[in-house]
Amino acid sequence: MASVMSALRPLAIPLLALAVPLGFAVWAFPEGLSGIRTAAIVAGWLGCGLLLVSLLLMLREPRLAAWLGGLERMYLWHHRTGVVAYMLLLAHPLLLAANAFADSPARAWETLAPAAESWPVWSGWLALVLLMLGLALTFMRRLPYRAWRWLHAALGAAVLIGLYHLILLGIDEPVAPILTVAALILGWRAVRGDWGLAARPYVVASAHRVAEGVVEIALRPLGDPLVVAPGQFILTAFFKGPDFRGCGEFHPFTVSAVEPDDVLRIGVKALGDCTRRIQSIGPGVAARVLGGFGSFLAEPHATRQFWFAGGIGVTPFLGLLRNGGLIAPTTLLYLYHTEDDAAFLPELRAIAAATPLLTLQAVATARGRPDLDRLLPDAPHLIGCECYLCGPPSLVARLKRILRQRGVTPRHIHFENFDLR
Amino acid sequence: MRTLYVASTTAFWALVIAFWAAGTWAPHAEQPPAAPADRAITAAELARHARPEDCWMAIRGSVYDLTPYLPDHPSRPQVIEPWCGKEATDAYNTKTKGRPHSKEADSLLPQYRIGRFVPDAK
Repeated sequence: MASVMSALRPLAIPLLALAVPLGFAVWAFPEGLSGIRTAAIVAGWLGCGLLLVSLLLMLREPRLAAWLGGLERMYLWHHRTGVVAYMLLLAHPLLLAANAFADSPARAWETLAPAAESWPVWSGWLALVLLMLGLALTFMRRLPYRAWRWLHAALGAAVLIGLYHLILLGIDEPVAPILTVAALILGWRAVRGDWGLAARPYVVASAHRVAEGVVEIALRPLGDPLVVAPGQFILTAFFKGPDFRGCGEFHPFTVSAVEPDDVLRIGVKALGDCTRRIQSIGPGVAARVLGGFGSFLAEPHATRQFWFAGGIGVTPFLGLLRNGGLIAPTTLLYLYHTEDDAAFLPELRAIAAATPLLTLQAVATARGRPDLDRLLPDAPHLIGCECYLCGPPSLVARLKRILRQRGVTPRHIHFENFDLR
Repeated sequence: MRTLYVASTTAFWALVIAFWAAGTWAPHAEQPPAAPADRAITAAELARHARPEDCWMAIRGSVYDLTPYLPDHPSRPQVIEPWCGKEATDAYNTKTKGRPHSKEADSLLPQYRIGRFVPDAK
């Protein structure tokens, strides 16, 4: 039964993304209208359903994440459903105008023109423009995370205004419950995810620098500890402490160890304003922790393994090694710029020396792009292996491409993407 | 995803501009001639057309046969259908928290006009 559930888990989100919008469209399917007007209304309901699924997929609940195949997967589909919903909602007014075009071009424009309309249409336009601006900002990678997060939240307002647009049109019977559900999901995320009501209180027990711009922090629980495995990731926010003031934002960090007294260790690399500030953290700082998320290394395989780590991406592998989790011959290819910024390198060398099943290949790549063609094993050495990748998205993308070229099938390539934007 | 966003947004605004250009510069269609205004329709006659498949309404002194328009009305049927067979000027003027219908709606009405409303006729 558990294996059937595990096999069905990858289908959970696609099925949800089909069932909800199709359910809306079937329920609200108009009868007796022209084909184009019917298409316009169906596009609106499909977009509305997909937006609701997109909202659900932004919740940060460990149990929900486990049912739906992981938080990373939820965020991937949050983006996909959001963009497809946006495209359907763009089509909605255009199809309404196209329907009126048969009467006259002037009437088609009057259908779209906000100046000729009132609040029911203005609210539709407002929602669409907010959605447009919110998505544009979502794609701006250079925006600081804190500003990005608040601007991204405008998309939630767009969803609520879009649903209110339907109520103003007099379609309140099916929409009022949908609006309530959407508001509840947004509130749930804000209260439990962003304000941290669902998070457990921890305190920093110790912190020590493990490389240039990388600190390993030990977190001691102040109440019931989280159920977390090494290699999973947790969302952690740091607050006030002696001589330290955290930014209070939840960021994902990999668990590098779980100690017998439930102390968690995480590796934090200085990648932005908040994580740069964390480099100077000390004992006594209050923290709140959500998790654990991710099943990257959760199912150990007895077959030969290749692990590919880029920079701080070595942390989940270290977590597994510290836990003594090796059951098959394993090669760890660890790529870093210089030995100064290679986190945990001395410890990894010591573990490799004491672990016959582990072969460590530590490679300094300087500042250029690593020559992966040369560094990766040949096809005969890769076929039949399980390949695990963790590192910057561009490196993981290149690794995936080369592994596929060398005959490794997708089901033998496992990777984790930390980008929760 | 980014490419999809950029392509769909660009296409959307291109089509909005195309609708604006066509609506502004295309020759305006002749308004359908209104029915003769002299036919008096009483409240009793109006009330006999109170079903969605035979729906007359009195609005601002005129009577309109809105049967063919009902499926195109944006709101759910329960909003408009109860006004079939009735004097609906108040409902028409106070849609959406007191706001009247749009100019577009005003421009649609004449083609459905079938006479003038005579509320007190016996």
